[in-house]
Amino acid sequence: MHIPDGFLSARVALGYAALSCVGLGAACVRLRSQRDRGASALLGVSAAFVFAAQMVNFPVAAGTSGHLVGSALAGALLGLPGALVVMSAVIIMQCFMFADGGVFALGANVFNMGLVGCVVGFCCYRLLCGAAPSPTRRVASVAFAGWCATVAGALSCAGQLSLSGAARLSVVLPAMLGVHSLIGVGEAVISSLVVASVLRFRPELLETGGPAALAKRPRNSAVFAGLGLSIAIVALLAPLADVAPDGFSRVTQALGLHSSTSPWLAPLSEYGIPGIVSGVLATVLAGCLGTLSLFGLCWLLALALVPRPARQAEARALVAESSG
Amino acid sequence: MSAIHRAPAELKLGLALALILGLAALPAERAWWGLGALPLLLVLAKLSRLPPGPLLSRWALGAPFLLAAASLAYFQLNGLSIGLALLTKSAICLLTLQLLISTTPVTELVRTLRRVHVPEVLCQTMALLARYSELLGDETRRMRRARAGRSLRGSRWLEWRALGNSLGLLFVRTVSRAERVQTAMRSRGGG
Repeated sequence: MHIPDGFLSARVALGYAALSCVGLGAACVRLRSQRDRGASALLGVSAAFVFAAQMVNFPVAAGTSGHLVGSALAGALLGLPGALVVMSAVIIMQCFMFADGGVFALGANVFNMGLVGCVVGFCCYRLLCGAAPSPTRRVASVAFAGWCATVAGALSCAGQLSLSGAARLSVVLPAMLGVHSLIGVGEAVISSLVVASVLRFRPELLETGGPAALAKRPRNSAVFAGLGLSIAIVALLAPLADVAPDGFSRVTQALGLHSSTSPWLAPLSEYGIPGIVSGVLATVLAGCLGTLSLFGLCWLLALALVPRPARQAEARALVAESSG
Repeated sequence: MSAIHRAPAELKLGLALALILGLAALPAERAWWGLGALPLLLVLAKLSRLPPGPLLSRWALGAPFLLAAASLAYFQLNGLSIGLALLTKSAICLLTLQLLISTTPVTELVRTLRRVHVPEVLCQTMALLARYSELLGDETRRMRRARAGRSLRGSRWLEWRALGNSLGLLFVRTVSRAERVQTAMRSRGGG
């Protein structure tokens, strides 16, 4: 999802750089007020952790492998402002160390993977987790948050490419969404595996939504979550609204409703439900059903990952018996 | 160490940004004007005395991504010319960026960002990231070797669980390392 230089028009790149600066600046100001609690080293070393974690390749199939992006995971482990700074640092350093993603497109890349990824991931995680979640619920939420963060980042990336005139929205949106809803499944599985093992080794690290030094005061977390979600929605819809006056027709085209669109949209036809005449409704319904079933899968994954208390007690008893 | 290596990082970063901005501002039908920057870049590469092999191979490593992204541009009016224009522009931008990062140490770039008043929290995070990524990378490799030594062979699911577990363990170790680093920074008057 790293956009290289040359693909974004100057207007789009500068606009998104400004947006990223605002978001990142807010996170930095918020962290500065918490700095006396001794978290500055934690952020740096956690950024190195995300960097190292991205280099661990998970075998997928037939010799291919995928890796973690980690914005939702960072959100769950470090809280929103911390995750934002950590992910932005990772993206900026990837550009400066490996030329991964352009330097002029840095604003857009930080926006997609940092801002959108962390805000969507963190808000999904927090909203699904609630106040005092069970381990299963926590693992399921982080899995779903990982998927949502990946897909949301891809959506915003597609919007930027089409705004710059690099590709038509009707081509780039289904292509990005299709690929990243699969990549997101990998992200969901890896994030939940990591959180499940952190829960086993040191569960108190997750208790406050981050190590104590970065913990948020709980009373306004709901307000922040709501605010963050609405900002994310607006930010995601902004590229679509910007193509006005023919914004709606572009959107419907993007959803594959015009038969005149290219044959490359064929995979999109899977999203349609036969029997429902209205194409928009069918697509929205299919999208909702897909997301819901994915949430169900996340829950099953969490059930598989988190050991049941009864079984854990049984295992402990067995160990005690054999050692005694 | 050539003169290009020793040039101030601000200058190099500013020049690279200006060139890339100029390329981004070119309309698609004039994208080939961007090729005019190529002699300049080649002269700079020659002056910096970088070995051409690694530079070229790293440049080519980015090509698949550029091709994939440019192929998305094909499906529109004048798609071919727009795709080719994007490919030209981004290939030259990538070469510029490669030249910048292979003649400038990362720590210099972070120092430059600090000088232009990027928030301290972010700069410190980036500096620590540059310092510790190598260390944690080594730790990951050690864990991987240990896991291979215990000869874990099983289904793919078991492999994923083992990898996830070691990442979780790595995070736990990261947090305790951060506590030690913080104490060390405090005792030296920083943090």
